[in-house]
Amino acid sequence: MLRVGVEVGGTFTDLVAVGAGELVITKVPSVSSAPDVGAFRALTESGLAFAGITDLAHGSTVATNAVLERKGARIALIATRGFRDILLLQRHDRRSIYDLAYRKPEPLVARRDIFEVGERILADGSVLTELDPAELDRLIRAHLRPGAYEAVAIALLNSYANPAHEHRVAEIVRAGLPGLPVTCSADVAREFREYERTSTTVLATYVQPVIAGYLARFQARLAEAGFTGRLSVMQSNGGLMPAEGMGLNAVTALFSGPAAGVMGATRLAGLSGYRDLITFDMGGTSTDICLVENGRPGLASETEIDGLPARTPVLDIVTVGAGGGSIVWADDGGMLRVGPRSAGADPGPACYGRGGTAATVTDAHVIRGTIRPTAFLGGAMAIDAGAARLALTGLGRQFERAVETLADDAIRLAEANIVRAIQLVSTERGRDPRDYALVPFGGAGPLHAVRIAEALGVETILVPPCAGVISAYGLLAADYAYYDSATRRAELEEGVEATVRQAFAEMCERAERRLAEVGLSGTPSLDLVADMRFVGQAFEVPVALPVERIDRLTAAEIRTLFEAAHERLYRHGSGAGKRVEIVAFRLGAHLPSAALPPLKPPAGRFAAGNATVVEGGRRFDCPIRARATFAAGARVDGPLLIEDSTSTVYVPDGWRGTIDEHFNLILGRSP
Amino acid sequence: MRLDPVDYAVISQSLIAAAREMGAKMIRSAFSTIVREARDCSAALMDRDGNVVAQAELIPLQLGPMGTTFRPCAELFPVDTLEAGDFYINNDPFNGGQHLPDIYIFSPIFHGGRVIAFSATTAHHLDLGGGSPGLNAGATDVYQEGLRIPPSRYNLKRDWGPSGNFQRLVTANIRVPDQTIGDIDAQFAANAVGAERVGELCAKYGVDKIEAAMAELIAYSERRVRAALRAIPNGVYRGEDWVDDDGVSDAPLLVKATVTVKDDAIDIDFAGTCPQVARNLNAPFASTVSAALSCVKAVLTSPDIPFNEGVKRPIHVTAPLGSLLNPRPPAPVRARLEASYRVFNAVMKALAQAAPDRVIASGFDTTTVGCFSFLGPDGYRVYLEVFGGGYGASALGDGCDAVDSPLSNCSNTPIEAMDMEYDYIRVVEYALVPDSGGLGRHRGGLGFVRRYAVLKDGVTFALYADRFKGRPDGVFGGASGTLGRCEVLRAGRVIQLKSKDSMTLAKGDIVSLQMGGGAGYGPAAERPAALVERDLADGFVTTLKARAAE
Repeated sequence: MLRVGVEVGGTFTDLVAVGAGELVITKVPSVSSAPDVGAFRALTESGLAFAGITDLAHGSTVATNAVLERKGARIALIATRGFRDILLLQRHDRRSIYDLAYRKPEPLVARRDIFEVGERILADGSVLTELDPAELDRLIRAHLRPGAYEAVAIALLNSYANPAHEHRVAEIVRAGLPGLPVTCSADVAREFREYERTSTTVLATYVQPVIAGYLARFQARLAEAGFTGRLSVMQSNGGLMPAEGMGLNAVTALFSGPAAGVMGATRLAGLSGYRDLITFDMGGTSTDICLVENGRPGLASETEIDGLPARTPVLDIVTVGAGGGSIVWADDGGMLRVGPRSAGADPGPACYGRGGTAATVTDAHVIRGTIRPTAFLGGAMAIDAGAARLALTGLGRQFERAVETLADDAIRLAEANIVRAIQLVSTERGRDPRDYALVPFGGAGPLHAVRIAEALGVETILVPPCAGVISAYGLLAADYAYYDSATRRAELEEGVEATVRQAFAEMCERAERRLAEVGLSGTPSLDLVADMRFVGQAFEVPVALPVERIDRLTAAEIRTLFEAAHERLYRHGSGAGKRVEIVAFRLGAHLPSAALPPLKPPAGRFAAGNATVVEGGRRFDCPIRARATFAAGARVDGPLLIEDSTSTVYVPDGWRGTIDEHFNLILGRSP
Repeated sequence: MRLDPVDYAVISQSLIAAAREMGAKMIRSAFSTIVREARDCSAALMDRDGNVVAQAELIPLQLGPMGTTFRPCAELFPVDTLEAGDFYINNDPFNGGQHLPDIYIFSPIFHGGRVIAFSATTAHHLDLGGGSPGLNAGATDVYQEGLRIPPSRYNLKRDWGPSGNFQRLVTANIRVPDQTIGDIDAQFAANAVGAERVGELCAKYGVDKIEAAMAELIAYSERRVRAALRAIPNGVYRGEDWVDDDGVSDAPLLVKATVTVKDDAIDIDFAGTCPQVARNLNAPFASTVSAALSCVKAVLTSPDIPFNEGVKRPIHVTAPLGSLLNPRPPAPVRARLEASYRVFNAVMKALAQAAPDRVIASGFDTTTVGCFSFLGPDGYRVYLEVFGGGYGASALGDGCDAVDSPLSNCSNTPIEAMDMEYDYIRVVEYALVPDSGGLGRHRGGLGFVRRYAVLKDGVTFALYADRFKGRPDGVFGGASGTLGRCEVLRAGRVIQLKSKDSMTLAKGDIVSLQMGGGAGYGPAAERPAALVERDLADGFVTTLKARAAE
């Protein structure tokens, strides 16, 4: 049994393989024009025998890039008569209220490719206007000629309540245009709100041929090399799906990268017994934050890409523009700012010596002493400390501060930006960050973790090893997952229990069928969430229902759960006598993957040393040690910098920790 | 007290984040479509003197009135006399407010027994009583427009809640109390969130630093606005525009702006504007100030300047008492946005002379409010929606199609949500209107149409809108935009409605509400051929000749 995870990132393609208890880690440069080439190269360089690989889990940005670069399929959309312009009208609001030259997010299908059919289904699923097949035949003959489109999306009003018309249209289109992929909105997001459902359907239709082509190409290459195992793909919900299952709803392939990182961090922390976590993945341009409860990352039911909404379960990740490359600047009101603009990878921070002149957070670390110029990325990249100093000098003069002090100021501001983003996923949602362990990863996370923890009152930090390959590890750690949703409106009163049980039973049946169709067997573990609100509200509060006692669950209990959730979120909610309704159900079905050994930091060529650090108005000596030199059970005391080949952990004075048997560094305050 | 630059940056960003959180939570937990979907509400943190420090930027027109509604409350009930649980409340257009549906609530934030700040929210409430549900289009004075709450102090514990005297008084005077009281509760909850966040900041940094950061944040915004104004050439610039009519006579209502830029300050005067009118088109002075401020902010300053009292300081607005833009009581004011939009257009036209690259052509720039109500056996049902139109084109590109107008930012109600909730009307079409944008090097944004089928006899329809007669003007050679209109199709016959009108509908009627498009920027002859081709292929424009011949 040999399992392999290959994650294609913007700069590197990472591979983590696990066979007889041993881990193999490989890192190769990505090939941006052909991600599968980089992935294949990582496999070749790892030296693994293709024929021996049983499971290959893959994460890539193919779907995301197809949308961002507008390189998806040419598609047609069929809509209800009178509502052709739903994608252009959108929600009638502006994201930037003072921008006089405001433009709406550009839809993925042009108006000339949107067609109407006469039909209307009502909110209760009844048919007001019957579909006329002859009209569809005419439409296909006139506009959907063979070769005109690569895929067709169908999104009709109220199809969430009754998909019969959409399915009938799909049948007729398939009959007229054999082989053309056709996607119905009710199969992609069975929820009310026509703009969001149509947008999701169009996204799925747009990326589906791209993903299918990519996976077919990759699979053919793998087969040629002797691979006979199962290829799976990471989804935005943090679960894996066998490649053949991606045709059902390709929208889940968007944003899989950050999701894999969260799954990896969650699994590594779980080895050490930590299950309530705030993960933060700080890279070059941004930081991704996710709240994990009882070993399960939070899910959101909607996200957006390039301004276009996608109604699909995604890990509830908040991104803030604070990374190592974030630019330090002063605005025209004389306020010191960090980000959201970033120097990116090219030219990158001034200290990279690639022509960048703007001061960045990484430059600030070099000046403050918390990044050692000679050992950055394990010494793989030369650092020009003089350029970093030059970049920060002007700002130092403007604020009348020593350049080291200004560097420290900039780092504190970057940390404050991350703290606010963490408050967004915790405090603002009624969660106290002090109840969680902070798990930093990504190249820059471990440098900032302690000060961020202090600002939040967090007592425990868990720093996993090998911060740079957590995402690839996450591909192996993730479950196989299938999510389903259904809008079903029911007022919470006696008798509602039957509706809940019926919805649950139907969704379970569908989930088991879908999993079986893609070759997954076993008994899945199930989560059921009801989207609920007071009658009259427009936004729902997700309420987790206890699946194990679903047969005994009463309306009164469901109401209590809802009121507690509403109160936690909005500070009001125990509205005696107010009517409550369920709007939709969401089911998650998980088939867990096998146990994994921990990541072990590779031995590197790091020399111990000493740095002079300037922080909080103090200048002090700080020893530097290599992470691989610590044995399990070793204790560390701040101030200390711990380096490995992808990141540096900063343990300030007043903090100390232990490396446990899973190679996790657990930090807490010194007594 | 001198603040460390990092402490200042962190505290000020935290205050802004707290105001945003207040706004987001109010919207997501609200009950009426007007707050929850249309987001017609605002939230702010203020210092103890009622100066706005940080505001959630949701609706441009609500820039400003937080301070003007606070002050009369504090004069009557001094801040130092406030006790735990007290709040100020005010919706009076003649005491700093704009129109009755906007209720302002201010909750004091105590620290160490002293008031150190206020959290403040306002929301547009669906129905506050008055002559007809949601909207009394024919009101001839403010008393007919609904419940007037003068600047007051009440106590949450004593006066609110199902047995509180004030809540009972309000409930007894409104038609859909579940929604209105629910929305007021959402305001109180948002205020509590703001108080909690300020409390956390005080605990962490000390109250002195928080108060110093508040003062510095106001000064910071003021500095940045003044820096932007210095970049504009000194001079006196004039612009004017018209509201179609007052709904009674046919005479256009003139709005006239004189904008004087001098160094780092700007003075905007509306002398020459027509006198106040007998119907609800009057704009209380607070609306006039907000509209002028919004235009200056959008045209001349960077969008990332945080809005607060400091933004207002360099901008001085005056309007003659008794005019359309500063009416005397008891003038009706419900539709004040139409005149406010002409304030926006007139100031924009004046600024076009000072900063030609930064202005845009006039857009449809009108608020169209349609209200369908129905009295069934279970009481009143009210559906009210606010629509914009096409934006004016800019130097950078075409105007935005079918979007809310610049002073507002309302979302639409999804058709499927309406299908679930209303059994007396149904939307049968929601579409862009081809050819509705003024042509130009950059064309104006398209308008749109919504058509409703009436499903029951006795549905009441009320409407206020504008630009049924006066088209939006193009700039630098761009063509003008197009008009809006409202028609009722009844038994094969078309009934034209006026821009301020109401009507009792019958089952089978089709109400068609059309919003116009914005005007063009630059001559149409300079439009790149590729864009003309695209417009034709996508059906945004259908017949170039027909348009030119108009």
